[in-house]
Amino acid sequence: MSDERDPAGQTATWRSWAPWVVIAVVVIAVIAWAAQPRGVPTPAERARALAAQLRCPDCESLSAADAQTSSARAIRRDLRERVAEGQSDATIRQAYVERYGEAIVLEPERRGLGLLVWGLPVAVLGAGALGLALAFRRWRGLERRHATPDDEAIVREARRDGPTP
Amino acid sequence: MRASLGVLGLALGSVSALLGIVVLAWGLRRNDARFLRMGRRYAFVLLSASALSVFAMEWALITHDFSIRYVAENNARATPLLFTITGLWAALEGSILLWGLVLAGYLAWMAYRFRNRATDPMVAWAMIVGFVVALFFFALMLGPANPFQTLANPPADGRGPNPLLQNHPLMAFHPPMLYLGYVGMTVPFAFAVAALVTGRLGEGWLAETRRATLVAWGFLTVGIILGAWWSYEVLGWGGYWAWDPVENASLLPWLTATAFIHSVIVQERRGMLRVWNLSLIVATFCLTILGTFITRSGVIDSVHSFTESPIGGWLLGFLAVVTIGSVLLIAWRGDRLRAPGRIDSPVSREAAFLVNNLLFAALAVVVLLGTVYPLLAEALQDRRVSVGEPYFDRMTTPIGIALLFLMAAAPALPWRATSGEVLRRRLLVPAWFGVAVMVLAAVAGIRDLWVLVTFGLAAFAVGGIVRQFALGLRAQRATGTSWWAAPWRTVRGGPRLYGGLIVHLGVVAIAVALAASSNLSTKTETRLEIGQSTEVSGYTFTYVRRDVVMTEQKRSVKAQVRIQQGDRDLGTYAPAVSIFPGGMSGIGTPSVRTGILRDIYLTLISAPTDRDRVTIGIAINPMVVWLWIGGALMALGTALALVPKSRRIVGPTSPAPTADSVPPATDAPDAVATVAP
Repeated sequence: MSDERDPAGQTATWRSWAPWVVIAVVVIAVIAWAAQPRGVPTPAERARALAAQLRCPDCESLSAADAQTSSARAIRRDLRERVAEGQSDATIRQAYVERYGEAIVLEPERRGLGLLVWGLPVAVLGAGALGLALAFRRWRGLERRHATPDDEAIVREARRDGPTP
Repeated sequence: MRASLGVLGLALGSVSALLGIVVLAWGLRRNDARFLRMGRRYAFVLLSASALSVFAMEWALITHDFSIRYVAENNARATPLLFTITGLWAALEGSILLWGLVLAGYLAWMAYRFRNRATDPMVAWAMIVGFVVALFFFALMLGPANPFQTLANPPADGRGPNPLLQNHPLMAFHPPMLYLGYVGMTVPFAFAVAALVTGRLGEGWLAETRRATLVAWGFLTVGIILGAWWSYEVLGWGGYWAWDPVENASLLPWLTATAFIHSVIVQERRGMLRVWNLSLIVATFCLTILGTFITRSGVIDSVHSFTESPIGGWLLGFLAVVTIGSVLLIAWRGDRLRAPGRIDSPVSREAAFLVNNLLFAALAVVVLLGTVYPLLAEALQDRRVSVGEPYFDRMTTPIGIALLFLMAAAPALPWRATSGEVLRRRLLVPAWFGVAVMVLAAVAGIRDLWVLVTFGLAAFAVGGIVRQFALGLRAQRATGTSWWAAPWRTVRGGPRLYGGLIVHLGVVAIAVALAASSNLSTKTETRLEIGQSTEVSGYTFTYVRRDVVMTEQKRSVKAQVRIQQGDRDLGTYAPAVSIFPGGMSGIGTPSVRTGILRDIYLTLISAPTDRDRVTIGIAINPMVVWLWIGGALMALGTALALVPKSRRIVGPTSPAPTADSVPPATDAPDAVATVAP
């Protein structure tokens, strides 16, 4: 902790921060480099990405990209053909939903009940974070008290096993 | 004969559980120590009774007694001995038998462990809760899930276990480990309920069940990892985790239990989070019951639902009773649960534990919602929908990354509050290490964002763990310990801290393996004729010949494939397809060349034809072996955390305060009895 008006203290603060600035810059640079889009996906990549979103019809949880059953292989072949024909991803997905029903898609839809599945975890995280933030604010507002011997006795009692009836 | 013996065991078990409840309740009501001392003994009767019925079932399996329906359905004369024995957990009824045995074992352990405190109402109540759970499962077995149902006309030969369950020795270990974990959560649950009922809501029940919880958690961890390994070695799709409902069912209690073993440290230390911890352990127990329901009722079609049966309603009813009962208990004791604590700073160890819990809770919500959503959609809207990897990956990856960051940074945080200066100093070297690994990985050609971030954070975490060990070792050396004795003595000085850090090391290994294998693997299919070769990722694969192996158990067709890297011969591997008598389709068995950096995973996609053509699947899966290594490290760390702390050894020094430097949480006489080793 340094005094703001003390030049020596400022130097010390700067010294302890400097490496972290370097680390932050490097990390951001690497992330920015890795997050760059890498051109248009090849047809094979597109077919694979589509297969990963579709369920293998005769398996329970596996995607058509992972499963080894004959129907999964047939879907992979069909997807390659459709991609080669120039169909868009949305068209292809729609065609599959029409043929197999919506259970072919491995993600919940983003409307109706499905919205709950997407939104609830985010809501839980948000509410939890907000709750924590409020709790910290409240705790910060509380005056920091020093325990009297009486308090300590109470704490001891409480920690033993909760208050006795 | 064997069936009668089994039913006798079940009846005896039910009666002893019932008597245990009645006698203990009477003793509590009358405040009569004789009854309380007697009541706990029924746990040993229960254990003997369930051992008797398990013995009867194993005897029937080994002697192929097909007059028992379960044996006829899950065993055949040709079944090898190992899979005859594991037949006990090949289907629902036998699994519950094993469940009962494990539960009786934990109850007997409780009765033995607290033998000197049998008259303590807390212990008596915990035993009652345990007996109630046992009574439910034994009644289940006497009623709708009777494993000893007999057949009037026994078949000459049985059907044999599901082919997938007689294909790999891991089947002998994965389910028992999982059950040891699942059922073990009954112990902290029983004590939590006992604490609520008796109103002794301090830290006593936590201290008493800390070991049991850790043991159960360790088994659950190992069980899940072994399940993933089995899936990888047997199912042949190249992965180890499919977000199948049954896999999720085992993950759910693990998530809440993991949150629990972190947040209890805050309660031990600061007396806070009482309601939260009670809720977490209740949730964990409920999720084990929900897991059993999902696994065994056939309610969700999944690869694990080998059976369907009418016990779904029973389990659901029990789940409802447990949940509602626990919520009411917590509400009833609400006034006593308010803890007058505060957390001084958001940058402190206890605040980090809160964030940890928030993230684990969010993960549990994701997994629970994704698992039950298809059920909800079907029940409420009569629609068939699927939830799979795309949803779970998208939701869990960011939370997982946040947890990894927290795991790297939090152990360096002091309790209560800290200055930024201290934190910057402690984290600097680990952070440099993390950045260096991230840059090196990028230079080595990895361009995937998630993989780079995971690698960097993993190295950051490893740096922090190594730093803590180095500090501990230095303190130990300073007391004059020789360098070769120092590591063990360091661990003995703070088993919870160092055991926990080794568990974290295992988690790091698993995180790295997950990121690398799910983002960097390649997968191709090739059709080969005998003598033909193909090249994938620098390896040459040659189809050498076709082998047919006939055993009593199965008929396997193997394709011998030689793998070479340049001129180096890496050996011949033989993915196979097996036909089991009575089985409809062939069961593929992959062949895996395990390596420290990458596995080569071969599968037979179509059985070799007579024209000597074969289609093989070749997958290069990077770093999968680190999942199993990470699992072993987690088991090792859990075991170390159970080592009693040596009082003669200097503990971890003040720069890194630990959970172990907690002052004794209680000074009540009953706590003294439990702390003594």
